[in-house]
Amino acid sequence: MKLRNAFVAPAALLTAITMLAPLAIIVVYGLLTRGAYGGVELPWTIENFTGIWNPVYGLIFLRSFWIAAVATALCLVLGFPLAMFIARSGARKNLYLSLVILPFWTSFLIRTYAWMFLLRDTGIVNTSLQALRIIREPLPLLYNDGAVILGLVYGFLPFMVLPLYASLERLDRSLLEAAADLGARPLRVLVSVTLPLCAPGIRAGAILVFVPCLGTYLTSDLLGGSKTVLIGNLVQNQFTASRDWPFGAALSLALMAIAMVLLFAARNRGEELL
Amino acid sequence: MRRGLAVYAVFAYAFLHVPLLILAVFSFNSSRFAVWQGFSLQWYRAVAADGNLIEASVNSLVIAIAATIAATVLGTLAAYGLWKRSSAWLSGSMYLSLVTPEIVTGASLLALFQWVFRFAHLRLGMHTVILAHAGFSLAYVVVVVLARLRSFDRTLEEAALDLGATEFGAFYRVTLPYLTPAIAAAAMLAFTVSIDDYVITSLVAGVDSQTLPMVIYAMARRGVNPALNAISTLVVFGLGLLIMLSERLRRT
Amino acid sequence: MNVTMNRRTFLIGAAAVAACSRGPRLNVFNWSDYVAPDTIPNFEREFGLRVRYSTYESVPEMLAKVMSGNSGWDVIFPSAEYIQPMRDMGLLAPLRHDLLPNLSALDPQFQKPPWDPNLEWSVPYMHGATGIVYQKSLGWSPGSWSDLWDARLAGKLTMLDDPPEVFAACLKTLGYSLNSSDSAELRAAQQRAIAQKPLVRAYLNAEVRDQLVSGDVGAAQAWAVTAAQAIAAASERSDGVSVSKLAFAFPAEGFPRYADNVAILRESGRMEAAHHFINYLLRPRVAAAIVETTRTATCNGAALEFLPEALRSDPVLYPPPDVLGRGEWFTPQSAAGQRLRDRLWTEIKT
Repeated sequence: MKLRNAFVAPAALLTAITMLAPLAIIVVYGLLTRGAYGGVELPWTIENFTGIWNPVYGLIFLRSFWIAAVATALCLVLGFPLAMFIARSGARKNLYLSLVILPFWTSFLIRTYAWMFLLRDTGIVNTSLQALRIIREPLPLLYNDGAVILGLVYGFLPFMVLPLYASLERLDRSLLEAAADLGARPLRVLVSVTLPLCAPGIRAGAILVFVPCLGTYLTSDLLGGSKTVLIGNLVQNQFTASRDWPFGAALSLALMAIAMVLLFAARNRGEELL
Repeated sequence: MRRGLAVYAVFAYAFLHVPLLILAVFSFNSSRFAVWQGFSLQWYRAVAADGNLIEASVNSLVIAIAATIAATVLGTLAAYGLWKRSSAWLSGSMYLSLVTPEIVTGASLLALFQWVFRFAHLRLGMHTVILAHAGFSLAYVVVVVLARLRSFDRTLEEAALDLGATEFGAFYRVTLPYLTPAIAAAAMLAFTVSIDDYVITSLVAGVDSQTLPMVIYAMARRGVNPALNAISTLVVFGLGLLIMLSERLRRT
Repeated sequence: MNVTMNRRTFLIGAAAVAACSRGPRLNVFNWSDYVAPDTIPNFEREFGLRVRYSTYESVPEMLAKVMSGNSGWDVIFPSAEYIQPMRDMGLLAPLRHDLLPNLSALDPQFQKPPWDPNLEWSVPYMHGATGIVYQKSLGWSPGSWSDLWDARLAGKLTMLDDPPEVFAACLKTLGYSLNSSDSAELRAAQQRAIAQKPLVRAYLNAEVRDQLVSGDVGAAQAWAVTAAQAIAAASERSDGVSVSKLAFAFPAEGFPRYADNVAILRESGRMEAAHHFINYLLRPRVAAAIVETTRTATCNGAALEFLPEALRSDPVLYPPPDVLGRGEWFTPQSAAGQRLRDRLWTEIKT
């Protein structure tokens, strides 16, 4: 056992420094008061936490939830057929899988910028539509919730496809054949047999997409035109421009609590990550 | 159904790849605007001449390599330790690390550093960024290596011990070779996550530790810029090459 | 072939830069587009110092980095209304006038500015005003802040992503002082901002310049320097005269005036080098060179004689005194006022 402890110790130290100690400080900051020009000072207060219970922030949380939920749903709808295609593609499976993973490996920031480039009024989408005479004036495609959702779907689609593919691959093909033999049409097989059997994959994918989308900062900042404040922007704002660390800390803890509740609710029995 | 799926797949892949291809195409455009006006390498030349950008790229590489080495080594050892005997608090911390939004991780690390700096004569710099990156990459490495360990036959190690090997010897000679593909994959993952990170880095970076994502973000915020297209193409191309290379290595 | 050359240059450049990265540098943190391309290299050559030059888009962004007191920056460029708070926070180093002989080059109106009468902490650098820049193709001229609430601008309007500026515009349409910290006045201003939101395309600072030039934006609340740069970029020569697609208006109700100043951080360990840098920037020819490329309004009076006539009489950068008289300087807010404005701003953005 001494070896085992020696192995675990360095990682434990790193985690304590980079994860636990900072978190402890955040909890402490959440209970302090904002200094006149920033920073923290006494007295102790729970005002930061009670302050979240405010319609303005409630609205921000709701909107963030809504956007994350729509993005996740879109990822599911768009990703499932693709995962099915890859799972059934036989010999070329690895190639198709790599083609999905490749964008995922490249910079998230760059992929978000790609949509800035495409969607602006003088960008290629608008100029093409105008050239084809489908529209007269350029459409305001950028700087709205739709652009943010598009950016999120584009960024996180691979996160959904991979667990779905893993689930579909493990599917026992004979079950599907049995259902077909019993007279079920392909759609019925899909809905009644395939989807329920893929539930773990769907759950994993949904969590892998929803949680990061909830805390997103970059996408709403670049594609949303600073017009909408989502939780991620709000927290970032408190720690930088507003210099209200205690409130930022309280918001962060609220966001983390929500994420943990979601993860707990969606846990797979017997299929722990760690 | 098969045909329908194939058609759909074409569109799906187009959706994933065409935006990046368009970015790349327009990086060779001689004008700033979305209308093609002739082939030109001027933006690439501008990028190569930008000292700030080169310094940021070098920083990014240095940080990514250092953080990846640290995270992979520590993470592999930790995964092995957790596999031998689980630890609720360590697993819990890993979970926490994966669940925490980047902005929270970054801000809390900044708070920690500011607090420490009151006592030590230090400031934000490359060391704080590397520490932060190693910290958040650790969980990814542990997850990947642990997953592989789950499919490893414990009795193999026991057999080695019965044959007289030390604990470490058993690990080194029997288990570690089995883990190599997972370790390689984990290292790739850690490297990519580090190279791409913006949020955490922007909060804990010092004057001397501007990274490539920070430069890209600053440029992106100021609007569309063909030089940014050039940088993007270079990064995507570079990372793509790296991945294909690592896949080749993995197969052999 | 060319592509390989670029990659090789990249690698060689990287190695060279890595090698040169040793050694202390003067760290300068400035607004984007506020120096000429050769300003820094010339300084490095003449004084044998290496400079690390980085830029920001807003004062809060700079303050967040600098507030800790050990950020590593030496020279910064805060706006006038931040000088006193930064001094109170103990962030600024007192300036040594014996190292700044070129101070006399400053324009008389900036030798004793209201925010730092003895120039103990800062040296005025560039100044300007905030107003409205718009496309002439609109067919009408927005001449006052209230014109930015016109429905014709829906989806083509941008405002600054800067709480003091947006509040200033709203307060002015109601006839209040733009420095107001009165709760009722601020809330009324907030309501105006919320009413305007459906028309606003995005909240952008200097980033709006490219969108103005490309025609994406019809009218924008913008700083004079951004406006001057956009107007110049969107102009063509016809019959020897420069005609631009864009125009600038100083709003009728009154407008904010801003001044960006150079200051040295107290934490800096390179005081002498920092002073040399400031003195260098005060040289009339250096200041003039900066103005020529960046189209800003310099506080350096002696530099004006080195500028081409077109720039010297540019109405956007150097408006006549009767126009300037409608302007109001930003003053520092009290802590309570600041908090109220922060909360109200978050509500606007939601």
